[in-house]
Amino acid sequence: MVSSKELLPRESLLWIFAAQFVALLPQFTQLPLWVAFAWAFAVYWRLEVFRGRRDLPGRTLRLAVIVLTITGLALSYRHWFALEPMIALLAISFTLKNLELVSRRDAFVSLLLAYFVSATLFVQEQTIPYALYGLLCVWVITAALAAQLGSSSARPRRALGISVRLLAQATPLMVLLFLALPRLGPLWSVPQDTSAGRTGVSDSMAPGDFTELSKSTKPTLRISFDGPIPPPEQRYWRGLVYSEFDGRTWRQGFGVDPHNGGRVYWKTGERLLPQMGPRYRYQVIQEASRSPWLFALAQPASETQGVGETADDRLVKRTPVYSRFAYEVRSWPRETLQAPVSLSNAERRLNLQLPSFGNNRTREWMASLRNQGLSAESVSTQLLAHFNSAFTYTLKPPALGADSVDEFLFASQQGFCEHFAGSYVFAMRAAGIPARVVAGYQGGEWVSGEEYLLVREYDAHAWAEIWFDGRGWQRVDPTAAVAPERVRNGLESAAGEEFLQESFFPLHRIGVLSKLRLKWDMINYRWYQTVVSFDADRQQNYLRRLLGEVSPLRMALLFAVPTLIILLGIGLWIARSANGRKLPPAERLYQRFCQRMARVGVRRRPGEAPQDYARRIASEKPQLADYANAVTAAFEQAAYGGDSSAQKTLRKLLRWHFWLRRTATDSRELVGL
Amino acid sequence: MANSWWSVCCARLMSSQPEPMSVPRISDNNASRNLFRVLGERWLNRRAPRARAITLNHSRLFILPTRAGLGFLLVIALLWLLATNYENNLVFALTFLLVSMFAVLPVHTFANLSGLRLQLLGTRSAFAGDFAEAEINVSREGKRQREWIELSWPREQGSHVDLCEHKSVDTCISLPVVRRGRVQAPRLRVESRFPLGLFCCWSRIDLDVEFLVYPRPVSAGPLPLGGATAEGDFGEVQPGGDDYAALKPYQAGDSLRHIAWKQYAAGRDLYSKDYERKTDRRLWLDWNLLDGRDSETRLSNLCHWVLEAEKEGIVYGLRLPGISIGPSFGPEHQQQVLQALALYPERGR
Repeated sequence: MVSSKELLPRESLLWIFAAQFVALLPQFTQLPLWVAFAWAFAVYWRLEVFRGRRDLPGRTLRLAVIVLTITGLALSYRHWFALEPMIALLAISFTLKNLELVSRRDAFVSLLLAYFVSATLFVQEQTIPYALYGLLCVWVITAALAAQLGSSSARPRRALGISVRLLAQATPLMVLLFLALPRLGPLWSVPQDTSAGRTGVSDSMAPGDFTELSKSTKPTLRISFDGPIPPPEQRYWRGLVYSEFDGRTWRQGFGVDPHNGGRVYWKTGERLLPQMGPRYRYQVIQEASRSPWLFALAQPASETQGVGETADDRLVKRTPVYSRFAYEVRSWPRETLQAPVSLSNAERRLNLQLPSFGNNRTREWMASLRNQGLSAESVSTQLLAHFNSAFTYTLKPPALGADSVDEFLFASQQGFCEHFAGSYVFAMRAAGIPARVVAGYQGGEWVSGEEYLLVREYDAHAWAEIWFDGRGWQRVDPTAAVAPERVRNGLESAAGEEFLQESFFPLHRIGVLSKLRLKWDMINYRWYQTVVSFDADRQQNYLRRLLGEVSPLRMALLFAVPTLIILLGIGLWIARSANGRKLPPAERLYQRFCQRMARVGVRRRPGEAPQDYARRIASEKPQLADYANAVTAAFEQAAYGGDSSAQKTLRKLLRWHFWLRRTATDSRELVGL
Repeated sequence: MANSWWSVCCARLMSSQPEPMSVPRISDNNASRNLFRVLGERWLNRRAPRARAITLNHSRLFILPTRAGLGFLLVIALLWLLATNYENNLVFALTFLLVSMFAVLPVHTFANLSGLRLQLLGTRSAFAGDFAEAEINVSREGKRQREWIELSWPREQGSHVDLCEHKSVDTCISLPVVRRGRVQAPRLRVESRFPLGLFCCWSRIDLDVEFLVYPRPVSAGPLPLGGATAEGDFGEVQPGGDDYAALKPYQAGDSLRHIAWKQYAAGRDLYSKDYERKTDRRLWLDWNLLDGRDSETRLSNLCHWVLEAEKEGIVYGLRLPGISIGPSFGPEHQQQVLQALALYPERGR
């Protein structure tokens, strides 16, 4: 018996280190650098021990190393209850385990830990490359487990071969479990990856913010429609509403976000939905943004778990979007709805708020317009006409000073969407019309024949909404007054030469490459649609389509039928494999003869020679003597003489009807008929 | 009432041996007190009867996860928690992949042993207190390679067999033997943890291994040359036997062969026998020379003398109560003599 305390041989060690390396490699890019060095050092030490140049570290040294690494972790990470320190702790325990890798049991522990470490990789990213890499990890770790047995199993080709075979055989069952095993919701709240900064539209807007976003081609939203599709000039994906202005930066203001008192309807039915059906139904897949804002067309409603609707017609998620998130939305365009009655006093105050000083020229201009008694529409029209007359839409606006609105409206007259939206809202408020800035994305690019709309970071946009008594909030896009092609065709056509000018490789100019990029995005989208976003709801839908209805009986059948088929296969194989060697054909035929004779009462004794047996049959059942002699002679010729014609004769002699005819003439009771 | 019924049942079970056995089985010494052990053995005897050649099949093979396998299940549970809490489908996929692999593994482990044929080629005798060896042939049919098969008697170091290139391998397994006589070896354990060590498939087979165990050689002084007594106990007086005249106190220089061993063994002083004629060169190893010791010690001493005589090239014979083997020499003779010593009926036990 192999005791579990047996020392590890060389190949076993090398396999363990290989498995650890594969599992840790992607983590090294995220972990502090010293963790990688600590691991390499521990491996070096263990190999030196194997060569006999060093001893395994003693207890005091090990204790010192543990204290040192824990201190290192404490210094590297401030928050303990987060994902990265946990992964770092796993990696460190992995490393330290190397210093006491002595017995077979230690090897098993180390490799089982490796499975877990490679799984934490998926918590960070769920893209196709990560999935493939994870598969590689499992492959190598399983091979390392196989190699622990030693001898021929430890050869790389053999170990990797065993691993591939096992994983391939496990795949069908895995697919079944993945599709059919019920999912529970999270059992407790878990730390999330907070290391990377927030991306995309933020909760404040200062001049220059959107210009930054316009440099990024990162995909943000993927939207697929079920039914009608809104025309390009209606594709405004609202994410945030800024109501508070301090003279330079627009912010959400108090009482908007759920965490500072904003009203959010989390449950369906909590808010009265319009009587008629929605115009648009669609699914949005949002990339990780690390903020809770979701993006949808105006007046949205969503039934996806954890998504709520705010009072200002936006969608928010209960927890920030830490990884790709898919949500179903229904939208009712505002013009199809009954206008809300009136604006509450608090809301009116909020949407008329202005800083107490600054931008006096604009204020004076608007005051004069207001004094003329113009309606909200005409003020807006005048302002937009002013934009249209002399303004330039550019990605490189000149820097603005303290009175940013004045400078923009009357001096520089060059700007990007945030300049237009910000100064428009400022001006409308100065004219006494409630107004607010809305940020989000506008437009999108069709991928693979209108399968879904891909919205990238550079589609980020800011526009305005103003309150008309009797009509409610209406969208006004001041940018459209200057550069209507921005709204119709996207940034690339509006910005022209300036588009992505600063990117190091202007890949978007090479047609083939941008097509390939879209192809790759489509593969990613499909991957996300089918694998990553497969949740309990989709599982239910899928099973309903597969089974007709999801009842306990049908679920049981779904599991039982494949299981029974597999068990039956294994059973047959066991029955076959246990029989050992297959007998030659002549022997098998003779066996059949013996069985028949046993049925009529003459059982062959163990070790009885065929000739003796035939003689005994002749004496006990004289009527069968001829038959027995013929069979015995044919058998002996076929088995020992190698005579193929004798085998044919034997086969003929043993045919069922032949046997029946023969016995029927003698006596029916012989065969027990 | 119930208690007495139970005790009756137990007593019946205990008293009826699993099968009539004339030879002692090592494993049954203390174990027979254990009801479950007995029941288990009886069940095994029915299920996997004794034979000198056995093909492993599903009725003989058992399979369970090892401790490492349980650890693997723990990792699966942790991964499932991770996947559920993070609602992460790739971690789910990994978890289910490991679960499925865990479901596939026993088939491989089982297939590694199923259909394997084990045959006892022979046994080597040993002295009590030493290791007896059995030579066993392990062979396979078909294309499937068999790896990492362990053959052992439980709690003893066994041997490990691979059947990759070869279809048949001979291996030796040793078992420590304590008592002389015919010893029936306990069931042999054949086990394999291939391919990942997460499952252990095993079989306990009875290859009808029986060892002939000679008494443990214990020195009883030099060979009793010429010291054979002809007291007629066995009614067999050696022709040309030497009559000795008298006993005289032993003096330095007297031949060791003339020492009166019987008297010495009985606790008296060392005497030399004074012979009138030339002594007989043939050596009789006689039970009666070792008077006063218990029979096992006598057998041990005789065994030692046999080995000594064989080593020194002296022709010797053996006299035991009821058995006499004429003087001769050579391996076959030694074998015969040692067998007589091994199988000498026990007394007073």
